[in-house]
Amino acid sequence: MEATDSNTPLGTSDQGPAWKCWLGIVTIVLGLLLTVSHGNEAMIQVVAAPDSAAVQDKPLKCREDELIEEGLSLMECQLMATTMKNLIVSSPDWFRCFQMTLMAIGTVIAALSVFIGIALFDNRSWASKLAVFTFASLLAIDVIEFIAVVNTGPLLRAHYLWNVFLWFVLHLMLTSAAFVGLQAESKAAQS
Amino acid sequence: MQKTAYSRTAVVMHWLMAASIFFLFISSWWMLSLPLPSKEYSYRVIPFQLHKNFGITAIFLMAILLYVRLRYRPTPVTLDAMKPWMHKLATLDHIILYIVIFACSLSGYLSSAYSGWGTTLWWVIELPDWAKENEELNIFFSDVHLWTCWALLALISIHISGALYHAFRNDGVIRRMLHL
Repeated sequence: MEATDSNTPLGTSDQGPAWKCWLGIVTIVLGLLLTVSHGNEAMIQVVAAPDSAAVQDKPLKCREDELIEEGLSLMECQLMATTMKNLIVSSPDWFRCFQMTLMAIGTVIAALSVFIGIALFDNRSWASKLAVFTFASLLAIDVIEFIAVVNTGPLLRAHYLWNVFLWFVLHLMLTSAAFVGLQAESKAAQS
Repeated sequence: MQKTAYSRTAVVMHWLMAASIFFLFISSWWMLSLPLPSKEYSYRVIPFQLHKNFGITAIFLMAILLYVRLRYRPTPVTLDAMKPWMHKLATLDHIILYIVIFACSLSGYLSSAYSGWGTTLWWVIELPDWAKENEELNIFFSDVHLWTCWALLALISIHISGALYHAFRNDGVIRRMLHL
């Protein structure tokens, strides 16, 4: 079935199958969140440069006016440098470059999934096939990231694993739903 | 003939704004945990510049969205799809949403302007340094920024819940913002 005409009246039943509509909107919302989440992670890796000030234990200035402005205690201010140091020191040499590359690819595919969601919602004929492929790609990224994080240390595992696992389960559900939808479409086309 | 869907420009602006606002929230929760800035500690430079870039861009995107939405209005939704009270609530939510997005972005910019830190939009356009450093005004606008942004998050939640309601009903309302 081709895309719905933008001039068709609202509230009619000619809006495509319900599963495409549901899957489409869920894909759009999750796709947007994943795009910014991957983008944000890429930025974290850019900022957390090895051999930067926190790792070199350079003295951190915690001025009183800035503490008031940010609503921080002196201890919290000092811990901010420690948190950054933890992140950098607990990352193996290969991790930063690997994570930046994976997140850049992930950002692009996640952004693409938003368009796939729109296409599903719009009942485009090609959307289901591409949805299975896109969700499977996102699933593969989750698996690769999971394996990578498992091979770091306990600090990074505590920081990343739950988040990656949650996205893995979400993408598993989306892939299964799109696959079942694709099968139903093929069956309907044959009969 | 009047179309039932929003114009393509409005659709693109809407989704670009959605992505920008999500990024602004997610990045801000993390970047405020970075060490306070000094000559040695420059961790905040890139995230804060990026935050300001996205925030200022959001104002421009919203201005374009408002213009095209008011210029090219689609046909109103049918009563089957939306009851009158729902329509009133949606209109109210949209008006408050636009005001709060504007207030959130503007207060962020003003807070930055009075902080004494310059802003170079997307590392290309240096914005005029018109405000003198003022700690009180910086804190005031920073507080306004904080509370308007929390309000924005609440409004976005209402907006998304309404969108999901219509999407799951498959009544055609959401299709107006999803037609490319």
